[in-house]
Amino acid sequence: MTVRKLALLAAAAVAAVACGGGTSTGQTTITLGAPLGLTGSLTKESTLTQQGYNLWLDWINARGGIVVNGVKHPVVIKYYDDTSNANQSAVLMQKLITEDKAQFLLGPYGSAATATDAAIAEQNQIPMVEANGAAQSIFNQGYKYTFGVLSPANKYLEGVIDMAATLSPKPTTIAMLSADDNFSIEVADAINSYAPTKGMRVVLYKKYKNGATNLSAEVQAAKAVNADIVLNSGHLQEAIAINKAAKEQKLNAKIFAYSVGPSTPDFIAALGNDANYVYDGSQWTPQVKYTPAFYLTVSDYVAAYKAKYPGLGDPDYHVAESTAACLALQRAIENAGSLDPKKVRDALAALDVTVFFGQIKFDSRGINIYKPMVVEQIQAGVHHTVFPADVADAQAKYPTPAWDQR
Amino acid sequence: MFLILGAILAAYALLAPLTSLDAAQSANVPLLADRLWFRIATIIAMFIVMATAWNIIGGITGYAAFGNVAFFGIGAYTTGMLIAKAKWPFLVALPFAPLVSAGFAALVGLPLLRLRGHYFAVASLGVGVAVGELVQNIDYGGQPLFGGASGLFLPIYAIDNRGLFFFYLMVAAATIAIAVTWWVLRSRFGYGLIAIRENEEAAAVLGVNTTVYKVAAFALSAALTGLAGGIFSQWNVFINQDNTFPIDYNVQMILMALLGGTGTVFGPAVGAVLLQLLIQFLGGSLPISFDIPFVSADARPILAQVILGVLLVGVVIFVPRGVIDFFGGRSRLSLSYLRRSLRETSL
Repeated sequence: MTVRKLALLAAAAVAAVACGGGTSTGQTTITLGAPLGLTGSLTKESTLTQQGYNLWLDWINARGGIVVNGVKHPVVIKYYDDTSNANQSAVLMQKLITEDKAQFLLGPYGSAATATDAAIAEQNQIPMVEANGAAQSIFNQGYKYTFGVLSPANKYLEGVIDMAATLSPKPTTIAMLSADDNFSIEVADAINSYAPTKGMRVVLYKKYKNGATNLSAEVQAAKAVNADIVLNSGHLQEAIAINKAAKEQKLNAKIFAYSVGPSTPDFIAALGNDANYVYDGSQWTPQVKYTPAFYLTVSDYVAAYKAKYPGLGDPDYHVAESTAACLALQRAIENAGSLDPKKVRDALAALDVTVFFGQIKFDSRGINIYKPMVVEQIQAGVHHTVFPADVADAQAKYPTPAWDQR
Repeated sequence: MFLILGAILAAYALLAPLTSLDAAQSANVPLLADRLWFRIATIIAMFIVMATAWNIIGGITGYAAFGNVAFFGIGAYTTGMLIAKAKWPFLVALPFAPLVSAGFAALVGLPLLRLRGHYFAVASLGVGVAVGELVQNIDYGGQPLFGGASGLFLPIYAIDNRGLFFFYLMVAAATIAIAVTWWVLRSRFGYGLIAIRENEEAAAVLGVNTTVYKVAAFALSAALTGLAGGIFSQWNVFINQDNTFPIDYNVQMILMALLGGTGTVFGPAVGAVLLQLLIQFLGGSLPISFDIPFVSADARPILAQVILGVLLVGVVIFVPRGVIDFFGGRSRLSLSYLRRSLRETSL
């Protein structure tokens, strides 16, 4: 092939790029967009997020769509894979707005991607309702177009402390092992300042590299201080690693509580009986009792999930909070009676509704501080909600027996 | 050479409508009149800066620096800290990004550049990783000094046509990087660097102060990379360890320089455009829909990694002097060209 032919080819390619974009969607369809880490390090959580979005999508389209001023608009959600990379998430967010003409945005998975995408939403003045970025720093920027339906990071393990304060004999010392990403640090720091108000002390605060798989040194340090409560602010794989190391090193605490991980079926699958007695702070559990103003009840939601995704067990809170983000957006569009992004933004800011996920109401920063976190415990291989008492379905099994007495 | 000039002119013709967003919209130019294209074009310009800057130390001087992303991150954090914590205006804070990056490069360059070959490559890679970790983990008075794991949020820069502004700024940085390379290759300084690449002992014997020259080249490379980082921080609004010290940028900037042609003025820029377009294409951010046989849409981003790896191997083996040499010279894809290439890259 001659150089000239190559040059011609290149020119043709450029022309193809120039003419490729920009097909307009039907007038009545509402297009939502979400970049998700469908490959890469956040695949698992991103897939759960997508399941939550799609559960709502099926439901709303089975009803003909979102009703705006008496007219039903079917809904389309456009997804892109950001390969768990926040910089790529920003490009794809912009593509969703510009090329796919997404009228409203659903959040990506993770605080870093959410932080980057929140800036994009703000600059394009398109509302983004997100369910998977709990770091408060995102909401302290004065952004007007980002709304988070989930309880902020600082609440994640506070419920465990509240619960511990009600137990007897009351635990008093805490060993905190935390990953070094922004979300985990916020969870851990909140406990540092919150525990003393409940008469407890953090006697060890150790950070490790986010994503670490060997945490025996950290567990050794926790054993050395002989703390009553071992807390982990991290992620699924780290929680599994800590629990395994605790058994190997015979670290016997009265409470083992991990921020993220135990609520997923994978945790029990990976650890078997060793998963028993473990607590976690959860945005939502399938046992909670809320009376929804619209959409499904908690038990119908669990049934709908099992029907659509058979073999995966109960939906965990990632799924539920993602569905809740869609519900918040839907109700805001209905309340606004308009598809105008500014009017929907104002309707989101004024939203106050209770669904199966709990109360959804945003403070002036755009985060939902009104919904409580719940504490769940794995008992005989099954998740039970143990705190707060008014939504609990079981008593906490306390204290956790020593490893050789199980 | 004419082909390259032609390509650059064509690129300019395409970019011309950017001069005014309104004009572009009224002229109905879908390619560039929107924010997605600004974003992608800005990323491409950013990589032109980084690949061209790497070329100064890696291509011209022949020191395989694998940690240049450290200077990108330092530049980003310098500007980011000055804006977010010291509340400086962006344009006042920006010049400090190349200064601090260059200063840091000079500091670590003194001991590092005494190493050669693999040793320098590994040591520089270590610096790249270590700086990112330090930035995230240094505490002062119990508080993270540089925003820690939460990263830094900058206020959104208040200017009309924000996307256009940052695109121009990044293009200006790319122009500076290319102009600096052009100057280096025609200066006594540049001849000294080339002498160091070809034979460092001989260069020293001829009177080149190799330490000063090497450190200066390293600092110059760092300054340009830091400038790109400084612009990035205000453009992206949010910076943290992940987005300002990404290890894959290291590989990408080197691959771009290799692809385009190391040691040349325009080679790294051409490589940056080609490779970044390929990356964005495979990543699905270009507004073209496409199907790759046997590959599901879900697996496409993984395929991008595979293709980049294969490309790296292919470029190093078959076109070690880059596409500029390949298309610009008299050579053709022939057996003798491949044989010569293989001879050059084998020990």
